[in-house]
Amino acid sequence: MTDVRVVIPGDIIDTTISAEDDGAETAVLRLGPGLAQVGEEISASAAGVLHNKEETHQWWVVSNRRRYVAAEGEPVVGVVVGRHGEGYRVDIGSAQDALLPLLAFEGATRRNKPNLTIGAVVYARVVVANSVMDPEIECYNSNTGKSEGYGELTGGFMFKCSLGLARHLISAKAPVLNALGAQIPFETAVGVNGRVWVNTESPETTVLVVNAIKNSEYLTVKQCKQMVRELLDKR
Amino acid sequence: MTRPDRREATQIRALHCALGQLSRVDGSAQFSLGDTSVLCGVYGPVDVKIYDEKLDRAHIEVKFRPDIGVPTTKDKWTESAVRQTFEQLILGQLHPRTLVQINIQVRQADGAVDAAAINAATMALVDAAIPLHSIVGAATCAVLESGAVVVDPTQEEVEQARSIHTLAFENKTTGSPAYVDSRGDFTMDEYNRCYDLCATSVERVLAFMRSAIESKVSKESKLSTT
Repeated sequence: MTDVRVVIPGDIIDTTISAEDDGAETAVLRLGPGLAQVGEEISASAAGVLHNKEETHQWWVVSNRRRYVAAEGEPVVGVVVGRHGEGYRVDIGSAQDALLPLLAFEGATRRNKPNLTIGAVVYARVVVANSVMDPEIECYNSNTGKSEGYGELTGGFMFKCSLGLARHLISAKAPVLNALGAQIPFETAVGVNGRVWVNTESPETTVLVVNAIKNSEYLTVKQCKQMVRELLDKR
Repeated sequence: MTRPDRREATQIRALHCALGQLSRVDGSAQFSLGDTSVLCGVYGPVDVKIYDEKLDRAHIEVKFRPDIGVPTTKDKWTESAVRQTFEQLILGQLHPRTLVQINIQVRQADGAVDAAAINAATMALVDAAIPLHSIVGAATCAVLESGAVVVDPTQEEVEQARSIHTLAFENKTTGSPAYVDSRGDFTMDEYNRCYDLCATSVERVLAFMRSAIESKVSKESKLSTT
């Protein structure tokens, strides 16, 4: 994508499919987040940067927000807020608390269930998310039966950030995590719900990592490396 | 005719807008028209009380707090008028069984408070990325005792005015106003002059809003630095 276009709510987007593709089986327009159909036209419903994929006719708007709306398949960090017969209630930052079934853990059976206390932090994947039901999450991959990194997060520290920053951190190219990882060992779990869990060998280092991640939101790659270096030097 | 602050009759005061100043809300905006300043914080979509729950759309709640004292009957009226405006604007069906709460706090009142409140609420909703049909901008006109129509009146002019008109428009070329509030005695001709003056002023407000949103998006997506 060469030209960057910032759209605001109400902007009409020209999503016309070019003539040679018209009528082909693939010529179906696919709208992602931030776009809505109003009558015959496609209009933006959120402010952000417009993206499109020519080949698949996909259009979407990337915008930053602070409130999470659950979507299927996304990794989230949540806090257990309650327990009832068949599962836990987990606060993942969305409008309604998510349900985490007791058996949705690796190796869990009716006899051998995990015992989470209220306040426990869990890393989980959203499996049910739609506008009419409460979200449901699980701490294992139900196809393989393996945890794949999901489960209770013990120790460490959890903090909140904007969803844009969380998405950036999870994209594996985040300069702040690479710069930190080159210098000090630490564990992290990033939820796209804007919650990040960090664990290191000492509380001082944890604070340093948390500060570095929070500072990195509006920095370029170069500025990020500089900021991390300065924080490590001050240690 | 000269105005107390030496403005032209068709000239609005300096606009100022700051987004995301509050850290605990989902979206916030401060909007100023000269010395009138309004702060708005938006939560949403969040959990809703069973009593307010709507099965097919989001419940929209507006809280309007004046700069001095407790909300009066007039403030309650503004509250409900603003709510009706934004109920049309927010795509509430995308988030059924949730609440979108709009909290408006007047920081300094120097005329045209309702217009500033609507502008602040629009910007806060955009900051919170609540899905919207479009954005709205509002402007106020006053008809003075002399029959002269002035836009964006100060408190001094509001007190001398025969009638006050606040209108809001969407950023679309067609369509009727999204919000109309007229108080006092006025003729149809005076109303039409206010309507036209508000419409042209709102165009300026909307252009200002667009540039404020664009700079926020550019900062977040690091467009300016890469």
